[in-house]
Amino acid sequence: MSGSLILQSVVLGVLLGGLYALLAAGLTLYFGVMRVVMIAHSAFLILAAYLAWYFTSQTGLDPLFSLIITVPLFFVAGVVMQRLLISRLRPATLTMMSVLLTFSIALVIEGMLGFIFSGTQRRIQLPYSGTSFEVFGANIAVVKLIAFVLAAASLLALYLIMKRTRFGQALRATIQHPEAARLVGVNTDRVAGYGFGLGLATAAVGGTALALDSTIYPSLHWHWIGPLMAIIVVGGLGSIPGAAIAAMVLGIGQALLQLPLGTTWAQTIFYVALFATLMLRPQGFFGGRLAQRF
Amino acid sequence: MASEQHDAPQGRQEYLLELDDVQAGYGRAALVLRGLTVKVPPASVVCLVGPNGAGKSTVLKVASGMLTPRAGSVRVLGQDVTRNGPQDMLAAGLSHVLQGHSVFREMTVGENVMLGAYTVRDKQFIAERVDFVKSLFPVVGDRWDALAGALSGGQQKQVEFARSLMVDPKVVLLDEPSMGLDPKATATVFEQVVRMRDAGLAVLMVEQNARRALETADLGCVLDLGRVHISGPAQELLADPQLAELYLGGRPHTDDSAKATHV
Repeated sequence: MSGSLILQSVVLGVLLGGLYALLAAGLTLYFGVMRVVMIAHSAFLILAAYLAWYFTSQTGLDPLFSLIITVPLFFVAGVVMQRLLISRLRPATLTMMSVLLTFSIALVIEGMLGFIFSGTQRRIQLPYSGTSFEVFGANIAVVKLIAFVLAAASLLALYLIMKRTRFGQALRATIQHPEAARLVGVNTDRVAGYGFGLGLATAAVGGTALALDSTIYPSLHWHWIGPLMAIIVVGGLGSIPGAAIAAMVLGIGQALLQLPLGTTWAQTIFYVALFATLMLRPQGFFGGRLAQRF
Repeated sequence: MASEQHDAPQGRQEYLLELDDVQAGYGRAALVLRGLTVKVPPASVVCLVGPNGAGKSTVLKVASGMLTPRAGSVRVLGQDVTRNGPQDMLAAGLSHVLQGHSVFREMTVGENVMLGAYTVRDKQFIAERVDFVKSLFPVVGDRWDALAGALSGGQQKQVEFARSLMVDPKVVLLDEPSMGLDPKATATVFEQVVRMRDAGLAVLMVEQNARRALETADLGCVLDLGRVHISGPAQELLADPQLAELYLGGRPHTDDSAKATHV
């Protein structure tokens, strides 16, 4: 195996890991704030990818412009979904029931996509689709780099929202001690709604990034939810930095394993990591103590 | 009730907090509080003691708006605030420190304290409050940038106190402040309670450690089965041999040895 091939894989892994990190951040946010296991996260991801594709096919504009519509739309959809559906689940069984509820939402989205756009595979054709450049012998596709930059910028924005804004402080307080958050005057119900919206907004960005570079079809979300769930468990449920680090590590691992094992078997790294985490360190490798409450 | 037996020096005394004939319970379960009346005068420590299940913590939950009473009234400086939620109770001047550890563990001490002022917009006011809580609880200033979860139990309690004082409350509600703390940290916590009172605050405190708490308090109320069984000046309650036998786990101390330990 040549050095440049390994370098190539690492670069691909980093680029892929960035996208995983953004998507996993959203997924871990739902769990952190509300103890919700959001199976439909990747269905919304594919929905956003379809919207980006549809936007470009209709307007001829770059799919990145679709973010102007999808990010606010998904944010509102998240708030509505939390207030109308999730908040009606009984607290005692919320985590378990949220799996069923969001599983059904995923099925509805998949069905709608198939109904409206048919099961045909779709792909956005961009003027820069085929372009790539070389860094130290590693080939980097421009679309992959754009997807990565998009993901990295969104993660940074998410980080700044969580750390620097009044809303972010309230959200983190709600994650860490809901009762104490209420007692300092945080409206935890409202914050949970916005938190859910924020999580869904990451799916909008992720879906657009995905659409730049992938062939999409309605049932594609099933390929994503497993690895994403594995990432947030490895990173420590509810921990955004943990999810980001785990995503990067596993993304690079997946890309490297593709060399000896091929793409199908390389995917198993997520499940191996998941089982290893649950056996050795169920609270996650990079995150907080939240997993113990699961 | 506390005060009717306690002769106030300047005649008719205005109460900061009055819970009057309160009935409250959880869900459809039986009532926990069955006509409870507690009054908190200014700059005083009122302590609720009593056996497990007497409803001590429930009193605080009603006062901070976490639990809406089914009957009776809650008043702050004569104003009826009975059906207020936590945000409005905070605005009315009632600040609640939960039992156990309730700091935001993964946030810094500074972030915790600043979240205490979540409902406050006035920057100048917040700055003054930060100076105030730093002077009252030196550990807050010393460990401002440390993660709150990394502090010792007693230090975390002080961060919680500081957080609760950021809104400049009239009455601080303390639920079992000494729970889970070692004797030294417990002594510090009770000293801080006295310092809060000396700074002009009223404190309504629930304590399992009844004797220790009554030694700190000005007034005491013994709760049993959701009502105030006996109330009066804390020293009188401590001296009552029958009460000591029933609720304080033994006879009153005949010498000053108990007091000497917390200095």
